[in-house]
Amino acid sequence: MVGGIRLPGDVFLLEIIKGIKKIFAGGKAGGDVLAHPPAAVMFERFKDVLDCNNRALEIIADLGEKLSGDYIFDNQYIYDSMKALEDAVLQSVHALNTLCGNRYQELYGIYDRLTAHLHIVMAGREDRDGPMVIDLADISQAHSVMVGGKNAHLAQIQKDLQLKVPEGFVITTKAYHDLMDHNDLRKDLDAFESAMDDLNVDAEAIESLRERLERGVAAARPSSAFMLELEEKLNAMKALLGPEVMLAIRSSAQEEDMDFSFAGQFHTVLNVPPDSAAVFQAYLAVAASLFGKKAVRYRLRVFPGEGHMSIAAGCYRMIDSKTSGIVYTVDPADPAGDAMLVVSSWGQGQAVVEGRTSVDTFYLKKAAPHTIVEQKIQAKDTGLYLKKGGGLEARDVPEGLTGKPSLTHEQLGRLAAKALQLENYYRRPQDVEWAIDGKGDIYILQSRPLVISDAAAQQVSLAKALKNYELIVADMGSVAQQGIGAGPVYIVDTSQDLEGFPDGGVLVSRRDSSHFIRVMHKASAIVTEVGTPVSHMATLCREFQVPCLVNVEGILSMVENGMEITIDAEDRQIYKGRVPELLAFKTAVNLNVAAAKEFRILKRLLDTVSSLKLVDPLMDNFVPEACETYHDVLRFVHEKAVGELVEMGRDDRRLLKDYRALPLELPIPAGILVIDIGGGIKPDVQDDKVHLAAIASMPFRALLDGMLTPGIWRTGAANIGFGDFITSIVNVPADAVCGQYSGHNIAIISRDYLNLSLRFGYHFNIIDAYCSDIARDNHIYFRFLGGATDITKRSRRARLIAMILEASGFNVGSKGDIVTGRSGNMPKAEIMRTLDILGRVVGFTRQLDVQMYSDEQVDRYAGAFLSGDYNIMDRG
Amino acid sequence: MSDDNGGSHLRLLVIDDEPIVGKRLKQLFTKMGLGVETFTNPVPAMEAMERCPFDIVVTDLKMNGMNGMEVLKRVKDINPEAKVVIITGYAQLDTASEAFRRGVFDFIAKPFRLDELKRVIVKAMSGTLLARRQK
Repeated sequence: MVGGIRLPGDVFLLEIIKGIKKIFAGGKAGGDVLAHPPAAVMFERFKDVLDCNNRALEIIADLGEKLSGDYIFDNQYIYDSMKALEDAVLQSVHALNTLCGNRYQELYGIYDRLTAHLHIVMAGREDRDGPMVIDLADISQAHSVMVGGKNAHLAQIQKDLQLKVPEGFVITTKAYHDLMDHNDLRKDLDAFESAMDDLNVDAEAIESLRERLERGVAAARPSSAFMLELEEKLNAMKALLGPEVMLAIRSSAQEEDMDFSFAGQFHTVLNVPPDSAAVFQAYLAVAASLFGKKAVRYRLRVFPGEGHMSIAAGCYRMIDSKTSGIVYTVDPADPAGDAMLVVSSWGQGQAVVEGRTSVDTFYLKKAAPHTIVEQKIQAKDTGLYLKKGGGLEARDVPEGLTGKPSLTHEQLGRLAAKALQLENYYRRPQDVEWAIDGKGDIYILQSRPLVISDAAAQQVSLAKALKNYELIVADMGSVAQQGIGAGPVYIVDTSQDLEGFPDGGVLVSRRDSSHFIRVMHKASAIVTEVGTPVSHMATLCREFQVPCLVNVEGILSMVENGMEITIDAEDRQIYKGRVPELLAFKTAVNLNVAAAKEFRILKRLLDTVSSLKLVDPLMDNFVPEACETYHDVLRFVHEKAVGELVEMGRDDRRLLKDYRALPLELPIPAGILVIDIGGGIKPDVQDDKVHLAAIASMPFRALLDGMLTPGIWRTGAANIGFGDFITSIVNVPADAVCGQYSGHNIAIISRDYLNLSLRFGYHFNIIDAYCSDIARDNHIYFRFLGGATDITKRSRRARLIAMILEASGFNVGSKGDIVTGRSGNMPKAEIMRTLDILGRVVGFTRQLDVQMYSDEQVDRYAGAFLSGDYNIMDRG
Repeated sequence: MSDDNGGSHLRLLVIDDEPIVGKRLKQLFTKMGLGVETFTNPVPAMEAMERCPFDIVVTDLKMNGMNGMEVLKRVKDINPEAKVVIITGYAQLDTASEAFRRGVFDFIAKPFRLDELKRVIVKAMSGTLLARRQK
């Protein structure tokens, strides 16, 4: 056990020790030290975990790649891959439990739950499971199938973009299925769906079936359970918005607004009074429109061979709009141009979308400040307004408004900015329906893909057009997520830089980081100097569909902040400036790919497999129960497996019993004993000492290189008052009173692994690093704790270490004088570079606490260290 | 993305029961200058072949009504010069040897990159054009 640490009063430290005890005790009551397998066995088991994780992550990466749009695949591929993935994840859970004495049994239950859900997704039955009604604010990714595309979008717009949307709730597809069962329509529905499943179905042959369903739904009766829930929701809305609130009941079919617009295919009922009977009647009209003649024809055309589609309905507060209309973020007549189109009129937007009224048309520059390029103001005598009691009516517009523009410059600017936010978020041109109320607030009612015909996008010969643009990068880097994106460069050095990330910016960084998730909904592309297409970040990029190139050597020297660039993360090119032809072309092409059934199922599966909710191991929610996807499970397994290794080196007595530890000869008095568990020391060493030159462990070499950097290792330690304690580390016995760490400095090494415990008298470093050819396996874990001086000084040093680690790309957590840093998922060279820095940190900060007499020093010392000025210690 | 490969007179037939395949391939090869027709059902596709033979045929292996091997035989009966490329499903490559005996031009296994198929088709095109010139 860790010997002799007792600091009365330092409760936090005691907690840590208790934690360690628990780990060593294998979770058993009583806290006895369990027989731990020898280090080499532990390491082998750790590598088993990595192998299983790798297999699983490779399958996920492979599946994800297929979503990039450049592949043709079939159902069998999805089925086989998912089967292999299930096996790999299960084995990964198993491998972790083998490594750490079955301490994570609960992962099996979580695995079963996730797997069962994937089977539901694969069978296309997600729409039948879940709540009948759900508040807009409670909708998450998991509900996206059962609330339909349109509602899922509104929920995202509200949550992720913080744009105003009307308050409301959704009647889900679960309610729709219950309705069919409750009214004995299931048999007809099954027959209809299987007929629609046939690619060569004759629309005439199913006409009577279609009609029967349309009529049956329109006349359906509700279950009492449904009416109770509906009433509850309506009462809540009345309580929140006042009893006079009126509702809009809008259709939202499964695929609506996702990859297809379905514009005008389904029914919407406006200005409905908030009583359950009226809302239910309106809902029936919406649900029946799924079987409307024109909607069925549309489905046969865009989704041939796919019978299964269900419908949800959004029940939203009716906005009493003064002005409303639509924005096209691209002018469909000129998709390569730089203008967006706004159409508006007085009153309700229904008049605009149905072409029932005269409208104003504005062409705005896409780039801020969105200058008006052209405008056509028409005389607008009448508009649609809310009718008392329900429905809409045409009325004369208020006096004096007829000939006036229905939008001010200021409103146009705000609208344009919001519409561009939506285009950025959904990564394709949008058709946005909006309304402005009496207070001047802009509400987004709907945002769907703007369908641009292939012909329009392909008018220009792309290859020819591209020759006119200057290339910054040609055929460089690897594709993490395919796609095209353009925008101003925004360089990110530390995670703080993410704060100011602009909408539509191109994130350029030295290396990739899962922290970028915070700005992915704003980024039009991501480019990094190092990184790998299989990193966590790459997976996140696929989830957010952010075009991303990694390993683009020297990119930071080729661009500067604010410079406009276009990234083609398909042909691996980066152009100077915007290349509208490329953007327009890709928009049209992507739409087709997304249409395939396999593509949509795969996307849905990946949503439930690959997104990563369990991002930060330093957060309290980093627990098995929080795993929502396979990826979360794999992440958890990896983190815990590393954690298991980290503690291995602290059991020095056990290690020294199991292994022959050789003293390492160094020009500095670090007093390290080396235990080789495989290829860490060159084979020809016969001596009873190890020379630096005989160290074959790559991570250890890198760390030592850092520690031995000239100027880093100060030997003068007189200020501390009890002499040169470096030499005392190995010699002085445990001192249970003064808080000095005793035990040995042990490096457990293999060719690609290092676990180093460094006890420097009053503080303690643990470094655990794995450094192989597979980037995603690699990790660095660093922990620093303790110190001899008072807590203020110690905390200053801890803050200094935290700052340096953060600047070096670590995910850092600190509490008092304890700092933990995690990094990883990087290519070997980057791990080595980081370990070199870590070696310098260890040396540089070794005796620094006594010197940290003011807060101001923290920044100054960190700055000095980062600029390579290590002499600051001597200057003070 | 070259705009023209000089294949303006070549005709390509795509048969796959997944509509997206035809749609994607039509887009890709029309841009290369081929005349492309697509079918999800092999029976009418063969009727079209009889009316006016195609130079290159891309067909799925597993389809209802008629499988890719039968398509290969019918196409070769109608136009022995035609190049037939068979798309196989995931891990179905065991049929390869028989297909090669029957004169298939090439195989491509799903999932595949559009680029890979493009390379195969370009190879088929140059063979056909060369043969024409030699006549």
